[in-house]
Amino acid sequence: MAVFEHDVLVIGAGLAGMRAALAAQDAGANVGMISKVHPVRSHSNAAQGGINAALNEDDSWEEHAFDTIKGSDYLADQDSVEVLCQEAGAELIRLERMGVIFNRDETGHLGTRRFGGATKARTYFVGDITGQAILHVMYEQLLKAEARGQSPFRLYEEWFVTSLISDGERCLGALALEIRTGELHAILAKGTIIATGGFGRVYEPSTNALICTGDGMSAAWRIGAPLMDMEMVQHHPTTLKGSGVLITEGARGEGAYLLNSEGERFMKTYAPNAMELASRDVVSRAEQTEINEGRGIDGCVLLDMRHLDPQLIQERLWQIREIGIDFADVDIVKEPIPIRPGCHYAMGGIKTDVNGATPVSRLYAAGEAACVSVHGGNRLGANSLLDTVIFGRRSGAHASESGRSEKAPSIPDSVIEEERKRLQAILDRPKNGDRVAQIRLDLGVSMDRNVAVFRAAEGLEEERGIVAQMKERYAKAPVEDKGKVFNTDLLFHLELGYVLDCAEAIVLGAIERKESRGAQFRLDYPKRDDANWLKHIMLSYSPEGVRMDYAPVTITQWPPQERTY
Amino acid sequence: MKYAFWPGCVSKGACPELYQSMIKTSAKLGIELEELYDGNCTGAGVISEHEPELADALNARNFALAQKMGLSLINICSTCQGVQSLVQEKLDRDEAHRAKINAQLAEEGLEYTPGLVIKNFLWVLAEDFGLDKLRQQVVRPLTGLRCGPFYGCYILRPSRILGMAEHPERDHYLEQIIEAVGAEPVDYEGKNKCCGFPILTNNRTNSLKQAGGHIAEAKDEGADCLVTPCPLCHLNLDAQQPSAAQVIERELGVPILHLPQLIGLAIGIEPAELRMDRHVVGTQKVLDKVLAKVGA
Amino acid sequence: MQVNLKVRRFDPAGDGDARYQSYSVDMPENATVLDALIQVREYVDGSLSLRCSCRSAICGSCAMRVNHRARLACKTKVTEVAEREGDEIVVEPMGNMPVIKDLVTDMEVHWSKVRQITPWLQPTGPEPEREYLVSNEAMLDLSHTMNCIMCGACVSDCTVLEVDTKFIGPAALAKAYRFGGDPRESRDPAAHVQKDRLQYLSDVPGGIWDCTRCNMCVEVCPKDVRPMDRIMQLREMAGEAGVKGSIGYRHGGAFANSVRRLGRLDEARLLPDSVGFWNVPRLLSEVPGALRLLRAGKLPWSHAMPWHKPIPGIKHVRRIVDQVRKERKASSS
Repeated sequence: MAVFEHDVLVIGAGLAGMRAALAAQDAGANVGMISKVHPVRSHSNAAQGGINAALNEDDSWEEHAFDTIKGSDYLADQDSVEVLCQEAGAELIRLERMGVIFNRDETGHLGTRRFGGATKARTYFVGDITGQAILHVMYEQLLKAEARGQSPFRLYEEWFVTSLISDGERCLGALALEIRTGELHAILAKGTIIATGGFGRVYEPSTNALICTGDGMSAAWRIGAPLMDMEMVQHHPTTLKGSGVLITEGARGEGAYLLNSEGERFMKTYAPNAMELASRDVVSRAEQTEINEGRGIDGCVLLDMRHLDPQLIQERLWQIREIGIDFADVDIVKEPIPIRPGCHYAMGGIKTDVNGATPVSRLYAAGEAACVSVHGGNRLGANSLLDTVIFGRRSGAHASESGRSEKAPSIPDSVIEEERKRLQAILDRPKNGDRVAQIRLDLGVSMDRNVAVFRAAEGLEEERGIVAQMKERYAKAPVEDKGKVFNTDLLFHLELGYVLDCAEAIVLGAIERKESRGAQFRLDYPKRDDANWLKHIMLSYSPEGVRMDYAPVTITQWPPQERTY
Repeated sequence: MKYAFWPGCVSKGACPELYQSMIKTSAKLGIELEELYDGNCTGAGVISEHEPELADALNARNFALAQKMGLSLINICSTCQGVQSLVQEKLDRDEAHRAKINAQLAEEGLEYTPGLVIKNFLWVLAEDFGLDKLRQQVVRPLTGLRCGPFYGCYILRPSRILGMAEHPERDHYLEQIIEAVGAEPVDYEGKNKCCGFPILTNNRTNSLKQAGGHIAEAKDEGADCLVTPCPLCHLNLDAQQPSAAQVIERELGVPILHLPQLIGLAIGIEPAELRMDRHVVGTQKVLDKVLAKVGA
Repeated sequence: MQVNLKVRRFDPAGDGDARYQSYSVDMPENATVLDALIQVREYVDGSLSLRCSCRSAICGSCAMRVNHRARLACKTKVTEVAEREGDEIVVEPMGNMPVIKDLVTDMEVHWSKVRQITPWLQPTGPEPEREYLVSNEAMLDLSHTMNCIMCGACVSDCTVLEVDTKFIGPAALAKAYRFGGDPRESRDPAAHVQKDRLQYLSDVPGGIWDCTRCNMCVEVCPKDVRPMDRIMQLREMAGEAGVKGSIGYRHGGAFANSVRRLGRLDEARLLPDSVGFWNVPRLLSEVPGALRLLRAGKLPWSHAMPWHKPIPGIKHVRRIVDQVRKERKASSS
């Protein structure tokens, strides 16, 4: 049992986390970074299609901002979106300097592809492995900074955060299990940045990796940080039948069609202008409608790339071709691939300002775990990678800056001891009780049924009850592995706790928002209601119960309009 | 069965016993060989590494020579097979490249056209000749001989250019043949690993650790001998065995047979004709076990 | 369909021995080995530890040995490795690495070698206003190497790492190519970027010349990175950059020259040509081996003799060699 100290503690080593760590190091801070997996295993590597920036001569950050705001169904805070889009160009060039092997046009300049909801082609990409390409480069930069030894840095690789430490007012750091030894330690910091990604495992199926269990969101929630817009869960239109593995929007960006069982490009009914490249919520609803009305095939529709030049697929979409062959026995060059909407991204998360600061003193958040909000009710494709680096950088810089004047925190030993007891109590539970996997599966399937693309009061209320039931079952669920070394069984148990907190917030938000906007579509309230609901829903945990607040949406240049594609 | 025969450089150099045993064994089996006397070295992968276009041209010359004879090409070296398959895949796939190479061969009146069958003796035995037919030819079953297969990297990898899709058992032929001649195949992990020959000049210690390690593993599994279809492997496993034993600090003394020798013994050819005396690690142990069975 | 797994278990808190444990689970027809392992740990034996995350061959977590060959478990269909339904599938942790528990290995071997090769871009030349201008061909060429998800499968099964832990290994060397092949790093020897990289990789014990070219890494890589081919490219680049001092480099030249001279390989000359005629200690160390060959009647005296005849068509071989080299020189300048 040890106590470590840093100026800045980053939790999560995906793109946002690593970007934050680099920025904090640049600012001279002593940085610690915790990750429950090796940094390159982070789920950022699954992002495929690209990263947006208005860099072209004929493009402008204002147009990018408008597309983003319209895409968000006007729930995004426009001042935050302005920051996102203004800084995008410079950040993209920074990535190129770091070594990302972006696609190039014939003149050797950075090349672009079209993407959903964008009026201009401004998505920069590396084939269809953009997330992986940038993530690995970011890791290289971390190694470079480490080798150069400019400021102290420590990576706590395969450490699992069990809770954040709070003195009731401020966040002081985190308690974490060293997975390899099973020892519990405390890592204190003047500023803690949550960059733990999303909560896709709340749903079944989902494009998300098994590690996407909303750890940071839940840990922050438990020390009083509000979660905002949690009901805004993006269902990606093209997830593989069965496993839910992601098929990039880039396919549609390169010209792929969506077909129903009658072989028609049904998007002409729902988005006659943008067609397959309408914003994701529009496309997902279109697909789900086709499926519900009997024009699907085995619960799916088809993504057709047979008309695309095989050379283009080889150069720009090689990964999804492999995914099709490996996971669906389909060669996209020869046949269409069955896909359906699947849980993909959390627009909501821990409420932050444009510097990553949450309402809890000394607690920050960036990336998918945060809600600034730049994505509002629906995120545009290729804006997520952008979000991670922009707000990762800002939160890292800001946390270092504001931490300079702070005193180093300290905690009594009892804090660690109590946590150790809490974990031991879980380990000591009697064997009877449901398996963690079963609870998660039951939860995930019901969330997919009741809180997915189409929602209604009845289903939402049912889900509220189901979540409560799951929590009861969870309170009794045992852990089979009693060992200390690499006890993944215990980790799954703790992760389910995080998942349940996120599920609860999602359901409460969906029940509360009595309108349809972005990813939230309610059959009982099918219209957008700016008069009553142009606001964010914030949920905060307290021992007495969940508190609900609202936050206004910041409008700068773009008054809300009707949203059609 | 008649083939254009590429003996490779080593069977005409440091492994003369391979050449001689192949001539005797194939004759007895009824496999007619017409030797490519004018054939040139395949480059053994070394030239492919440094000057790939040169390796392509040199190998294409051999292919064209075989095609001029109107015969399929047989080789007795895993390394030759690997290099030839790699080059053939490239030439067959890339028409423009093939045309360029053919322009260089034209002065000699040679041309390569896709479709040439190139097989190592191991594949010829299992696929063209047939294991049943081989079994029928056995007059001296090698009963009691525990024989470990050692394939040689280039006849196994990369599998995508070695016809494994059409012939999925190509990575098991040695065991099947060992069984067909009455011996007992020994399973050990090193059988499809590297003998270390390619790094003998550059990193002798590692090279001999590899060779020594695999021999030791086979020995621990009870092998009386190893058999290999590659003379380069043979050099590291046999000629270098005493040095390898020193490096890994273990006594070895495991005879290494060439594939034609194993077959030859079983189909009744005398050890002297198979040049079983031309080994650094003496083969007497094997002969003692095998020859006792004459007439049985 | 029934899936039978035989999994190597190791409990560090136990008696120190590994054991094999059999599991039998019922899985859908298209299940992967990972699906089966997850089924085991979620519903049968919660003490089984393994790393896995994305389930779609992009995170690299689930590399392990399935039927003695390193693979990504999430990408390995059960039907691929069990010929008949119910055939036992052996699942073991990756090789060449210490085992922490069950299928979880300590990958520091792998990460430390990546750190060793200066794994970040060192762009040279005046910094442009916006992006460096490079061709898409160059980026696409690097994308094959960028496909590497650092899963460790190649490290697990590398036949050289098995005998020499100093070898930098296929993953790290492939990564080195990714930088060496990046046009944003100057190839101008005076800039001391690429030349230094290549010099280091050529000189350091365990560098590019220690690869035994066995193709094992090419065979096991789940992302078609072909690490060995990248190492060969590094060797070629080292030659072109003027890094020529190594035995490995001379070996290649000696081979080609032998073929040009005789049409065949002259084994007797190959060794001194490679290690250097002046390399007396090395040559002396080979004498016992040479004597053994002599005793066994295997020493190819004839090749060493000056009167040894080349192949009949040697003039064509020489013509081809010279022609190819001339064309190569012309196209690279």
